Amino acid sequence: MKLEKLFVAVAFSAFALTTTFASADALDDIKAAGVLKVGVKADYKPYGFRDPSGTIIGIEPELAKDVADKLGVKIEYVPVVSSNRMQFLEQGKIDLMIATMTDRPDRRKVVNIVDPNYYSSGTNVLALKSLGLKNWDDLNGKPVCGIQGAFYNKATSQKYGAKIVAFKGTAEAYAALKGGNCAAFVYDDSAIVAKTNDPEYADYEMPLPTIDDAPWGLAVALGEDKFNALMSDMITGWHKSGRILELETKWGVSNTPFAKAMNAKYK
Amino acid sequence: MKHTSAQSILPVLLQGKGKALNGFDFSPKLWHGVILLAVCLLTSTISFAQSAPAKISVIDALFRWMPLLLQGFVFNLVISVFAMAIGTASGAALGLGQISPNVAIRKVCWFVTQFFRNSPWLVLLFFAMFLLPFEFSVFGLKIPLPDWLKATVGLSLPVMANVSEIVRGAVNSLPSGQWEAAESLAFSRRQTLWEIILPQCVKRMLPPWMNLYAILTMATVLASIVGVSEVMTLTGQALAAEGGRTDLLAPFYSFVLLIFFIYCYPIARWTVYLEQKFAVKG
Repeated sequence: MKLEKLFVAVAFSAFALTTTFASADALDDIKAAGVLKVGVKADYKPYGFRDPSGTIIGIEPELAKDVADKLGVKIEYVPVVSSNRMQFLEQGKIDLMIATMTDRPDRRKVVNIVDPNYYSSGTNVLALKSLGLKNWDDLNGKPVCGIQGAFYNKATSQKYGAKIVAFKGTAEAYAALKGGNCAAFVYDDSAIVAKTNDPEYADYEMPLPTIDDAPWGLAVALGEDKFNALMSDMITGWHKSGRILELETKWGVSNTPFAKAMNAKYK
Repeated sequence: MKHTSAQSILPVLLQGKGKALNGFDFSPKLWHGVILLAVCLLTSTISFAQSAPAKISVIDALFRWMPLLLQGFVFNLVISVFAMAIGTASGAALGLGQISPNVAIRKVCWFVTQFFRNSPWLVLLFFAMFLLPFEFSVFGLKIPLPDWLKATVGLSLPVMANVSEIVRGAVNSLPSGQWEAAESLAFSRRQTLWEIILPQCVKRMLPPWMNLYAILTMATVLASIVGVSEVMTLTGQALAAEGGRTDLLAPFYSFVLLIFFIYCYPIARWTVYLEQKFAVKG
Protein backbone atom coordinates (compact mmCIF):
# COMPACT_ATOMS: atom_id res chain seq x y z
CA MET A 1 0.00 0.00 0.00
CA LYS A 2 2.79 2.37 0.92
CA LEU A 3 4.52 1.72 -2.35
CA GLU A 4 1.35 2.41 -4.26
CA LYS A 5 0.91 5.73 -2.45
CA LEU A 6 4.48 6.72 -3.18
CA PHE A 7 3.97 5.89 -6.84
CA VAL A 8 0.82 7.98 -6.99
CA ALA A 9 2.42 10.92 -5.19
CA VAL A 10 5.47 10.96 -7.41
CA ALA A 11 3.37 10.42 -10.51
CA PHE A 12 1.26 13.44 -9.63
CA SER A 13 4.27 15.65 -9.05
CA ALA A 14 5.63 14.44 -12.37
CA PHE A 15 2.31 15.27 -13.95
CA ALA A 16 2.54 18.81 -12.61
CA LEU A 17 6.02 19.30 -14.00
CA THR A 18 5.76 17.81 -17.44
CA THR A 19 3.29 18.61 -20.14
CA THR A 20 0.99 15.84 -21.21
CA PHE A 21 0.52 14.88 -24.80
CA ALA A 22 -2.97 15.45 -26.07
CA SER A 23 -3.45 12.51 -28.40
CA ALA A 24 -6.27 12.26 -30.88
CA ASP A 25 -7.87 8.88 -30.35
CA ALA A 26 -6.30 5.77 -28.92
CA LEU A 27 -7.80 3.48 -31.58
CA ASP A 28 -6.39 5.61 -34.43
CA ASP A 29 -3.01 5.75 -32.71
CA ILE A 30 -2.93 1.97 -32.25
CA LYS A 31 -3.83 1.32 -35.86
CA ALA A 32 -1.30 3.88 -37.05
CA ALA A 33 1.43 2.33 -34.91
CA GLY A 34 0.35 -1.20 -35.90
CA VAL A 35 0.86 -2.45 -32.37
CA LEU A 36 -1.36 -2.77 -29.32
CA LYS A 37 0.47 -2.35 -26.04
CA VAL A 38 -1.26 -4.26 -23.28
CA GLY A 39 -0.32 -4.15 -19.62
CA VAL A 40 -0.50 -7.66 -18.15
CA LYS A 41 0.78 -9.33 -15.02
CA ALA A 42 3.95 -11.38 -15.31
CA ASP A 43 3.89 -12.85 -11.81
CA TYR A 44 0.34 -14.08 -11.36
CA LYS A 45 -0.12 -17.65 -12.47
CA PRO A 46 -2.22 -18.58 -14.41
CA TYR A 47 -3.61 -15.16 -15.33
CA GLY A 48 -0.31 -13.75 -16.52
CA PHE A 49 3.15 -15.26 -16.07
CA ARG A 50 6.37 -15.97 -17.95
CA ASP A 51 7.47 -19.20 -19.58
CA PRO A 52 11.19 -20.06 -19.36
CA SER A 53 11.86 -18.31 -22.69
CA GLY A 54 10.65 -15.05 -21.16
CA THR A 55 7.39 -14.81 -23.12
CA ILE A 56 4.38 -13.72 -21.10
CA ILE A 57 1.56 -16.26 -21.26
CA GLY A 58 -1.69 -17.02 -19.46
CA ILE A 59 -5.40 -16.26 -19.53
CA GLU A 60 -5.12 -12.48 -19.74
CA PRO A 61 -2.44 -12.40 -22.44
CA GLU A 62 -4.71 -14.63 -24.55
CA LEU A 63 -7.62 -12.25 -24.07
CA ALA A 64 -5.35 -9.37 -25.06
CA LYS A 65 -4.31 -11.29 -28.18
CA ASP A 66 -7.99 -11.57 -29.15
CA VAL A 67 -8.23 -7.77 -29.03
CA ALA A 68 -5.10 -7.31 -31.15
CA ASP A 69 -6.41 -9.82 -33.70
CA LYS A 70 -9.71 -7.98 -33.85
CA LEU A 71 -7.93 -4.68 -34.50
CA GLY A 72 -5.60 -6.37 -36.98
CA VAL A 73 -2.43 -5.21 -35.23
CA LYS A 74 0.52 -6.83 -33.52
CA ILE A 75 0.57 -7.26 -29.77
CA GLU A 76 3.14 -6.14 -27.25
CA TYR A 77 2.89 -7.28 -23.64
CA VAL A 78 4.14 -4.83 -21.05
CA PRO A 79 4.63 -6.46 -17.65
CA VAL A 80 2.96 -4.42 -14.92
CA VAL A 81 2.59 -4.78 -11.16
CA SER A 82 -0.29 -3.70 -8.95
CA SER A 83 1.47 -0.54 -7.86
CA ASN A 84 2.21 0.86 -11.34
CA ARG A 85 -0.49 -0.48 -13.68
CA MET A 86 -2.81 2.54 -13.49
CA GLN A 87 0.06 5.00 -13.86
CA PHE A 88 1.23 3.21 -17.02
CA LEU A 89 -2.24 3.58 -18.49
CA GLU A 90 -2.45 7.26 -17.53
CA GLN A 91 0.96 7.95 -19.02
CA GLY A 92 -0.03 6.25 -22.25
CA LYS A 93 2.72 3.68 -21.94
CA ILE A 94 0.07 1.00 -22.42
CA ASP A 95 -3.15 1.27 -24.42
CA LEU A 96 -5.08 -1.38 -22.54
CA MET A 97 -4.72 -2.94 -19.13
CA ILE A 98 -5.84 -6.48 -18.39
CA ALA A 99 -4.00 -7.08 -15.14
CA THR A 100 -6.16 -8.84 -12.54
CA MET A 101 -7.39 -5.47 -11.30
CA THR A 102 -10.39 -5.40 -8.99
CA ASP A 103 -13.09 -2.99 -10.13
CA ARG A 104 -13.36 -0.28 -7.47
CA PRO A 105 -15.12 3.11 -7.56
CA ASP A 106 -11.96 5.02 -6.64
CA ARG A 107 -10.10 3.30 -9.49
CA ARG A 108 -12.84 4.32 -11.94
CA LYS A 109 -11.85 7.94 -11.29
CA VAL A 110 -8.30 7.24 -12.45
CA VAL A 111 -8.83 4.89 -15.38
CA ASN A 112 -11.72 4.04 -17.69
CA ILE A 113 -12.90 0.60 -16.53
CA VAL A 114 -14.94 -1.24 -19.15
CA ASP A 115 -18.36 -2.78 -18.43
CA PRO A 116 -19.30 -5.61 -18.16
CA ASN A 117 -16.62 -7.10 -15.91
CA TYR A 118 -14.63 -9.92 -17.47
CA TYR A 119 -13.78 -11.91 -14.36
CA SER A 120 -14.24 -12.05 -10.62
CA SER A 121 -12.57 -13.32 -7.52
CA GLY A 122 -13.10 -13.25 -3.80
CA THR A 123 -10.82 -12.71 -0.86
CA ASN A 124 -9.80 -15.60 1.35
CA VAL A 125 -6.92 -16.80 3.43
CA LEU A 126 -4.64 -19.82 3.57
CA ALA A 127 -3.78 -20.80 7.13
CA LEU A 128 -2.54 -23.72 9.19
CA LYS A 129 -5.30 -26.14 10.15
CA SER A 130 -3.88 -26.24 13.68
CA LEU A 131 -4.57 -22.53 14.03
CA GLY A 132 -8.30 -23.26 13.96
CA LEU A 133 -9.50 -20.00 12.46
CA LYS A 134 -13.30 -19.75 12.61
CA ASN A 135 -14.14 -16.27 11.40
CA TRP A 136 -12.43 -13.22 10.00
CA ASP A 137 -12.31 -11.45 13.37
CA ASP A 138 -9.88 -14.12 14.58
CA LEU A 139 -7.26 -12.37 12.46
CA ASN A 140 -7.47 -9.20 14.58
CA GLY A 141 -4.00 -7.98 15.52
CA LYS A 142 -2.29 -10.97 13.87
CA PRO A 143 0.33 -10.62 11.14
CA VAL A 144 -1.11 -11.69 7.78
CA CYS A 145 0.98 -12.07 4.62
CA GLY A 146 -0.19 -10.36 1.46
CA ILE A 147 1.04 -9.10 -1.90
CA GLN A 148 2.12 -5.49 -2.31
CA GLY A 149 -0.66 -3.33 -3.71
CA ALA A 150 -3.23 -6.15 -3.80
CA PHE A 151 -6.91 -5.44 -3.25
CA TYR A 152 -7.27 -8.36 -0.86
CA ASN A 153 -5.20 -6.63 1.81
CA LYS A 154 -7.66 -3.82 2.31
CA ALA A 155 -10.65 -5.44 3.96
CA THR A 156 -8.44 -7.78 5.94
CA SER A 157 -6.57 -4.92 7.55
CA GLN A 158 -9.31 -2.28 7.73
CA LYS A 159 -12.36 -4.32 8.65
CA TYR A 160 -10.77 -7.15 10.58
CA GLY A 161 -7.71 -5.42 12.02
CA ALA A 162 -5.05 -7.81 10.72
CA LYS A 163 -1.51 -6.52 10.34
CA ILE A 164 -0.61 -6.94 6.69
CA VAL A 165 2.95 -7.98 5.89
CA ALA A 166 3.20 -7.30 2.15
CA PHE A 167 5.58 -9.19 -0.15
CA LYS A 168 6.74 -8.68 -3.71
CA GLY A 169 5.60 -12.02 -5.05
CA THR A 170 3.63 -15.11 -4.15
CA ALA A 171 6.69 -17.34 -3.65
CA GLU A 172 8.03 -14.98 -0.98
CA ALA A 173 4.62 -14.81 0.70
CA TYR A 174 4.19 -18.60 0.74
CA ALA A 175 7.69 -18.98 2.16
CA ALA A 176 6.88 -16.47 4.91
CA LEU A 177 3.69 -18.35 5.70
CA LYS A 178 5.54 -21.65 5.90
CA GLY A 179 8.26 -20.05 7.96
CA GLY A 180 5.67 -18.99 10.47
CA ASN A 181 6.16 -15.27 9.92
CA CYS A 182 2.43 -14.76 9.55
CA ALA A 183 -0.73 -16.45 10.72
CA ALA A 184 -2.32 -16.55 7.28
CA PHE A 185 -1.85 -15.54 3.66
CA VAL A 186 -4.60 -13.41 2.16
CA TYR A 187 -5.07 -13.78 -1.58
CA ASP A 188 -7.68 -14.63 -4.17
CA ASP A 189 -9.83 -17.66 -3.42
CA SER A 190 -9.23 -19.57 -6.67
CA ALA A 191 -5.46 -19.56 -6.09
CA ILE A 192 -5.93 -20.65 -2.48
CA VAL A 193 -8.27 -23.52 -3.40
CA ALA A 194 -5.62 -24.73 -5.83
CA LYS A 195 -2.98 -24.53 -3.09
CA THR A 196 -5.02 -26.57 -0.60
CA ASN A 197 -5.08 -29.44 -3.12
CA ASP A 198 -1.28 -29.43 -3.21
CA PRO A 199 0.10 -32.28 -1.03
CA GLU A 200 2.82 -29.93 0.19
CA TYR A 201 0.10 -27.84 1.80
CA ALA A 202 -1.74 -30.73 3.44
CA ASP A 203 -1.55 -29.04 6.82
CA TYR A 204 -3.14 -25.89 5.48
CA GLU A 205 -6.76 -25.02 4.85
CA MET A 206 -9.01 -22.26 3.60
CA PRO A 207 -11.01 -21.92 6.80
CA LEU A 208 -12.99 -18.72 6.26
CA PRO A 209 -15.98 -17.84 4.09
CA THR A 210 -14.98 -15.96 0.93
CA ILE A 211 -15.61 -12.25 1.28
CA ASP A 212 -15.64 -9.29 -1.08
CA ASP A 213 -16.43 -11.32 -4.15
CA ALA A 214 -15.32 -8.53 -6.41
CA PRO A 215 -15.36 -8.26 -10.18
CA TRP A 216 -12.19 -7.60 -12.16
CA GLY A 217 -12.10 -4.73 -14.59
CA LEU A 218 -9.98 -4.30 -17.68
CA ALA A 219 -9.35 -0.66 -18.43
CA VAL A 220 -8.44 1.88 -21.06
CA ALA A 221 -7.28 5.45 -20.46
CA LEU A 222 -9.79 8.08 -19.33
CA GLY A 223 -11.62 9.75 -22.21
CA GLU A 224 -11.15 6.85 -24.65
CA ASP A 225 -14.87 6.19 -25.06
CA LYS A 226 -14.61 4.70 -28.54
CA PHE A 227 -12.05 2.17 -27.37
CA ASN A 228 -14.18 1.51 -24.28
CA ALA A 229 -17.22 0.70 -26.46
CA LEU A 230 -15.15 -1.69 -28.57
CA MET A 231 -13.80 -3.43 -25.48
CA SER A 232 -17.31 -3.68 -24.05
CA ASP A 233 -18.38 -5.58 -27.17
CA MET A 234 -15.30 -7.78 -26.90
CA ILE A 235 -16.08 -8.74 -23.29
CA THR A 236 -19.72 -9.47 -24.08
CA GLY A 237 -18.50 -11.64 -26.94
CA TRP A 238 -16.12 -13.55 -24.63
CA HIS A 239 -18.91 -14.28 -22.17
CA LYS A 240 -21.31 -15.23 -24.94
CA SER A 241 -18.98 -17.66 -26.68
CA GLY A 242 -17.74 -19.18 -23.43
CA ARG A 243 -14.20 -18.05 -24.23
CA ILE A 244 -13.46 -17.28 -20.57
CA LEU A 245 -14.62 -20.76 -19.47
CA GLU A 246 -12.52 -22.29 -22.22
CA LEU A 247 -9.42 -20.36 -21.13
CA GLU A 248 -9.97 -21.30 -17.49
CA THR A 249 -10.01 -24.97 -18.46
CA LYS A 250 -6.99 -24.55 -20.72
CA TRP A 251 -4.91 -22.98 -17.95
CA GLY A 252 -6.02 -25.36 -15.22
CA VAL A 253 -8.49 -23.28 -13.22
CA SER A 254 -11.80 -24.88 -12.32
CA ASN A 255 -14.61 -22.85 -13.86
CA THR A 256 -15.61 -20.03 -11.54
CA PRO A 257 -19.25 -19.30 -10.66
CA PHE A 258 -18.87 -15.81 -12.09
CA ALA A 259 -17.70 -17.01 -15.50
CA LYS A 260 -20.51 -19.59 -15.62
CA ALA A 261 -23.14 -17.03 -14.64
CA MET A 262 -21.96 -14.50 -17.23
CA ASN A 263 -21.93 -17.19 -19.90
CA ALA A 264 -25.52 -18.13 -19.01
CA LYS A 265 -26.58 -14.48 -18.94
CA TYR A 266 -25.30 -13.55 -22.39
CA LYS A 267 -25.88 -16.84 -24.18
CA MET B 1 64.04 -9.98 9.27
CA LYS B 2 65.95 -6.85 8.52
CA HIS B 3 63.68 -6.29 5.59
CA THR B 4 60.49 -6.28 7.71
CA SER B 5 61.81 -3.88 10.29
CA ALA B 6 62.86 -1.53 7.54
CA GLN B 7 59.33 -1.72 6.18
CA SER B 8 57.76 -0.39 9.32
CA ILE B 9 60.19 2.50 9.47
CA LEU B 10 60.22 3.33 5.79
CA PRO B 11 56.79 2.78 4.34
CA VAL B 12 58.16 3.51 0.89
CA LEU B 13 59.64 0.04 0.91
CA LEU B 14 56.17 -1.45 1.23
CA GLN B 15 55.73 -1.34 -2.49
CA GLY B 16 58.25 -4.12 -2.77
CA LYS B 17 56.13 -6.27 -0.55
CA GLY B 18 55.03 -9.67 -1.71
CA LYS B 19 54.71 -10.71 -5.31
CA ALA B 20 51.83 -8.34 -5.97
CA LEU B 21 53.99 -6.11 -8.07
CA ASN B 22 55.67 -8.81 -10.12
CA GLY B 23 52.81 -9.14 -12.52
CA PHE B 24 49.20 -9.04 -11.51
CA ASP B 25 48.47 -11.93 -9.20
CA PHE B 26 45.01 -12.75 -10.40
CA SER B 27 44.93 -16.42 -9.50
CA PRO B 28 41.42 -16.14 -8.08
CA LYS B 29 40.98 -17.01 -4.46
CA LEU B 30 38.47 -19.55 -5.58
CA TRP B 31 37.40 -20.70 -2.15
CA HIS B 32 35.35 -17.52 -1.73
CA GLY B 33 33.25 -18.39 -4.74
CA VAL B 34 33.28 -22.10 -3.97
CA ILE B 35 31.58 -21.41 -0.67
CA LEU B 36 28.80 -19.52 -2.43
CA LEU B 37 28.44 -22.21 -5.07
CA ALA B 38 28.21 -24.76 -2.28
CA VAL B 39 25.44 -22.75 -0.65
CA CYS B 40 23.57 -22.66 -3.97
CA LEU B 41 23.94 -26.39 -4.51
CA LEU B 42 23.25 -27.27 -0.91
CA THR B 43 20.00 -25.32 -0.81
CA SER B 44 19.04 -26.97 -4.08
CA THR B 45 19.65 -30.49 -2.86
CA ILE B 46 18.07 -29.96 0.54
CA SER B 47 14.94 -28.63 -1.02
CA PHE B 48 15.12 -31.33 -3.67
CA ALA B 49 14.84 -33.90 -0.93
CA GLN B 50 11.78 -32.15 0.41
CA SER B 51 9.89 -31.65 -2.82
CA ALA B 52 7.27 -34.06 -4.02
CA PRO B 53 8.37 -36.48 -6.73
CA ALA B 54 5.70 -35.26 -9.16
CA LYS B 55 7.36 -31.87 -9.50
CA ILE B 56 10.48 -31.24 -11.49
CA SER B 57 13.60 -31.10 -9.39
CA VAL B 58 15.07 -27.84 -8.17
CA ILE B 59 18.18 -28.24 -10.30
CA ASP B 60 16.06 -28.84 -13.38
CA ALA B 61 13.98 -25.78 -12.61
CA LEU B 62 17.09 -23.67 -12.11
CA PHE B 63 18.57 -24.87 -15.40
CA ARG B 64 15.32 -24.22 -17.19
CA TRP B 65 15.19 -20.61 -16.03
CA MET B 66 18.92 -19.94 -16.15
CA PRO B 67 19.01 -18.50 -19.71
CA LEU B 68 16.29 -16.00 -18.86
CA LEU B 69 17.90 -15.04 -15.57
CA LEU B 70 21.28 -14.57 -17.24
CA GLN B 71 19.62 -12.39 -19.86
CA GLY B 72 18.25 -10.31 -17.02
CA PHE B 73 21.71 -10.12 -15.47
CA VAL B 74 23.21 -8.85 -18.72
CA PHE B 75 20.58 -6.15 -18.54
CA ASN B 76 21.83 -5.23 -15.05
CA LEU B 77 25.35 -4.96 -16.45
CA VAL B 78 24.19 -2.74 -19.31
CA ILE B 79 22.47 -0.45 -16.82
CA SER B 80 25.55 -0.37 -14.59
CA VAL B 81 27.96 0.41 -17.45
CA PHE B 82 25.80 3.21 -18.86
CA ALA B 83 25.08 4.68 -15.43
CA MET B 84 28.80 4.59 -14.62
CA ALA B 85 29.69 6.30 -17.93
CA ILE B 86 27.12 9.06 -17.48
CA GLY B 87 27.95 9.45 -13.80
CA THR B 88 31.70 9.57 -14.39
CA ALA B 89 31.52 12.16 -17.15
CA SER B 90 29.18 14.48 -15.25
CA GLY B 91 30.85 13.74 -11.91
CA ALA B 92 34.30 14.64 -13.22
CA ALA B 93 32.98 17.98 -14.45
CA LEU B 94 31.24 18.56 -11.13
CA GLY B 95 34.36 17.61 -9.16
CA LEU B 96 36.52 20.03 -11.13
CA GLY B 97 33.83 22.64 -10.52
CA GLN B 98 34.24 22.05 -6.81
CA ILE B 99 37.87 23.15 -6.97
CA SER B 100 37.22 26.04 -9.33
CA PRO B 101 38.73 29.40 -8.38
CA ASN B 102 35.32 30.96 -9.14
CA VAL B 103 33.36 31.08 -5.87
CA ALA B 104 29.93 30.85 -7.50
CA ILE B 105 30.78 27.73 -9.54
CA ARG B 106 32.42 26.19 -6.49
CA LYS B 107 29.38 26.77 -4.29
CA VAL B 108 26.89 25.49 -6.87
CA CYS B 109 28.94 22.37 -7.60
CA TRP B 110 29.41 21.75 -3.89
CA PHE B 111 25.67 22.00 -3.31
CA VAL B 112 24.75 19.70 -6.21
CA THR B 113 27.32 17.16 -5.04
CA GLN B 114 26.13 17.19 -1.46
CA PHE B 115 22.49 17.06 -2.50
CA PHE B 116 22.83 13.92 -4.63
CA ARG B 117 25.43 12.29 -2.41
CA ASN B 118 23.16 12.45 0.61
CA SER B 119 19.93 11.27 -1.03
CA PRO B 120 18.84 7.65 -0.92
CA TRP B 121 19.51 5.94 -4.26
CA LEU B 122 16.01 4.51 -4.39
CA VAL B 123 14.37 7.93 -4.00
CA LEU B 124 16.51 9.35 -6.82
CA LEU B 125 15.49 6.35 -8.91
CA PHE B 126 11.82 7.02 -8.23
CA PHE B 127 12.19 10.65 -9.24
CA ALA B 128 13.95 9.76 -12.46
CA MET B 129 11.25 7.18 -13.25
CA PHE B 130 8.39 9.61 -12.88
CA LEU B 131 9.87 12.98 -13.79
CA LEU B 132 11.16 11.83 -17.15
CA PRO B 133 8.48 11.27 -19.78
CA PHE B 134 8.19 7.81 -21.37
CA GLU B 135 8.74 9.43 -24.74
CA PHE B 136 9.58 12.90 -25.94
CA SER B 137 9.24 14.50 -29.33
CA VAL B 138 11.97 16.38 -31.15
CA PHE B 139 10.67 18.13 -34.28
CA GLY B 140 7.67 15.86 -34.42
CA LEU B 141 9.82 12.74 -34.15
CA LYS B 142 8.81 10.64 -31.18
CA ILE B 143 11.77 9.21 -29.31
CA PRO B 144 10.80 6.59 -26.75
CA LEU B 145 12.54 6.65 -23.40
CA PRO B 146 12.35 3.08 -22.12
CA ASP B 147 12.22 2.27 -18.41
CA TRP B 148 15.72 0.88 -18.20
CA LEU B 149 17.14 4.10 -19.63
CA LYS B 150 15.27 6.13 -17.06
CA ALA B 151 16.58 3.84 -14.34
CA THR B 152 20.08 4.33 -15.76
CA VAL B 153 19.73 8.10 -15.49
CA GLY B 154 18.33 7.74 -11.99
CA LEU B 155 21.25 5.59 -10.85
CA SER B 156 23.82 7.85 -12.54
CA LEU B 157 22.86 10.76 -10.26
CA PRO B 158 24.34 9.35 -7.03
CA VAL B 159 27.29 8.01 -9.05
CA MET B 160 27.87 11.52 -10.36
CA ALA B 161 27.95 12.98 -6.86
CA ASN B 162 30.30 10.29 -5.58
CA VAL B 163 32.67 10.67 -8.54
CA SER B 164 32.63 14.42 -7.91
CA GLU B 165 33.84 13.82 -4.36
CA ILE B 166 36.45 11.33 -5.54
CA VAL B 167 37.87 13.91 -7.98
CA ARG B 168 37.84 16.71 -5.41
CA GLY B 169 39.40 14.49 -2.77
CA ALA B 170 42.13 13.24 -5.10
CA VAL B 171 43.09 16.75 -6.19
CA ASN B 172 43.14 17.99 -2.61
CA SER B 173 45.18 15.01 -1.47
CA LEU B 174 48.15 16.03 -3.59
CA PRO B 175 50.74 17.97 -1.62
CA SER B 176 50.46 21.72 -2.23
CA GLY B 177 54.12 21.66 -3.24
CA GLN B 178 53.03 20.31 -6.62
CA TRP B 179 50.98 23.46 -7.26
CA GLU B 180 53.70 25.72 -5.96
CA ALA B 181 56.41 24.04 -8.02
CA ALA B 182 54.25 24.30 -11.13
CA GLU B 183 53.58 27.96 -10.45
CA SER B 184 57.28 28.65 -10.01
CA LEU B 185 57.86 27.07 -13.41
CA ALA B 186 55.35 29.51 -14.91
CA PHE B 187 52.63 26.94 -15.67
CA SER B 188 49.17 28.45 -16.02
CA ARG B 189 46.39 27.11 -13.77
CA ARG B 190 44.90 25.10 -16.60
CA GLN B 191 48.29 23.65 -17.54
CA THR B 192 49.02 22.79 -13.91
CA LEU B 193 45.69 21.02 -13.54
CA TRP B 194 45.75 19.05 -16.77
CA GLU B 195 49.45 18.29 -17.10
CA ILE B 196 50.63 17.96 -13.51
CA ILE B 197 47.80 17.46 -11.04
CA LEU B 198 45.25 15.27 -12.84
CA PRO B 199 47.71 12.68 -14.20
CA GLN B 200 48.83 12.08 -10.63
CA CYS B 201 45.22 11.93 -9.49
CA VAL B 202 44.11 9.24 -11.91
CA LYS B 203 45.82 6.42 -10.06
CA ARG B 204 44.55 7.74 -6.74
CA MET B 205 41.01 7.85 -8.10
CA LEU B 206 41.03 4.45 -9.75
CA PRO B 207 40.53 2.21 -6.68
CA PRO B 208 37.63 4.23 -5.18
CA TRP B 209 36.14 4.59 -8.63
CA MET B 210 36.17 0.83 -9.14
CA ASN B 211 34.73 0.36 -5.70
CA LEU B 212 31.92 2.67 -6.64
CA TYR B 213 31.33 0.67 -9.80
CA ALA B 214 31.02 -2.57 -7.84
CA ILE B 215 28.56 -0.91 -5.46
CA LEU B 216 26.59 0.48 -8.39
CA THR B 217 26.40 -2.94 -10.06
CA MET B 218 24.95 -4.41 -6.91
CA ALA B 219 22.56 -1.46 -6.63
CA THR B 220 21.09 -2.07 -10.10
CA VAL B 221 18.69 -4.59 -8.59
CA LEU B 222 16.89 -1.56 -7.13
CA ALA B 223 15.50 -1.10 -10.63
CA SER B 224 13.29 -4.14 -10.00
CA ILE B 225 11.24 -2.03 -7.60
CA VAL B 226 10.35 0.41 -10.35
CA GLY B 227 9.39 -2.37 -12.76
CA VAL B 228 12.46 -2.80 -14.97
CA SER B 229 12.71 -6.42 -16.15
CA GLU B 230 16.17 -7.09 -14.71
CA VAL B 231 17.40 -10.18 -12.93
CA MET B 232 15.55 -9.62 -9.63
CA THR B 233 12.23 -8.96 -11.34
CA LEU B 234 12.68 -12.01 -13.57
CA THR B 235 13.61 -14.19 -10.59
CA GLY B 236 10.40 -13.18 -8.85
CA GLN B 237 8.42 -13.89 -12.01
CA ALA B 238 10.12 -17.23 -12.54
CA LEU B 239 9.25 -18.22 -8.98
CA ALA B 240 5.65 -17.16 -9.57
CA ALA B 241 5.53 -19.18 -12.79
CA GLU B 242 6.68 -22.24 -10.86
CA GLY B 243 3.56 -21.80 -8.77
CA GLY B 244 5.07 -20.14 -5.71
CA ARG B 245 7.08 -23.22 -4.70
CA THR B 246 8.85 -22.26 -1.50
CA ASP B 247 11.62 -24.83 -2.00
CA LEU B 248 12.82 -22.88 -5.04
CA LEU B 249 13.21 -19.60 -3.20
CA ALA B 250 16.64 -20.17 -1.66
CA PRO B 251 18.29 -21.81 -4.71
CA PHE B 252 17.02 -19.13 -7.09
CA TYR B 253 18.11 -16.22 -4.97
CA SER B 254 21.47 -17.83 -4.19
CA PHE B 255 21.96 -18.24 -7.92
CA VAL B 256 21.43 -14.49 -8.34
CA LEU B 257 23.85 -13.93 -5.47
CA LEU B 258 26.38 -16.18 -7.16
CA ILE B 259 26.33 -14.42 -10.53
CA PHE B 260 26.74 -11.03 -8.87
CA PHE B 261 29.61 -12.45 -6.84
CA ILE B 262 31.32 -13.90 -9.90
CA TYR B 263 31.14 -10.51 -11.56
CA CYS B 264 31.96 -8.21 -8.63
CA TYR B 265 34.59 -10.30 -6.85
CA PRO B 266 37.33 -9.94 -9.50
CA ILE B 267 36.67 -6.21 -9.50
CA ALA B 268 37.14 -6.13 -5.74
CA ARG B 269 40.37 -8.17 -5.97
CA TRP B 270 41.70 -5.96 -8.72
CA THR B 271 40.87 -2.87 -6.64
CA VAL B 272 42.81 -4.27 -3.71
CA TYR B 273 45.74 -4.97 -6.01
CA LEU B 274 45.69 -1.43 -7.41
CA GLU B 275 45.38 0.03 -3.92
CA GLN B 276 48.48 -1.87 -2.85
CA LYS B 277 50.32 -0.87 -5.95
CA PHE B 278 49.57 2.82 -5.61
CA ALA B 279 49.88 2.97 -1.84
CA VAL B 280 52.43 5.07 0.04
CA LYS B 281 53.86 7.03 -2.84
CA GLY B 282 54.41 10.72 -2.23
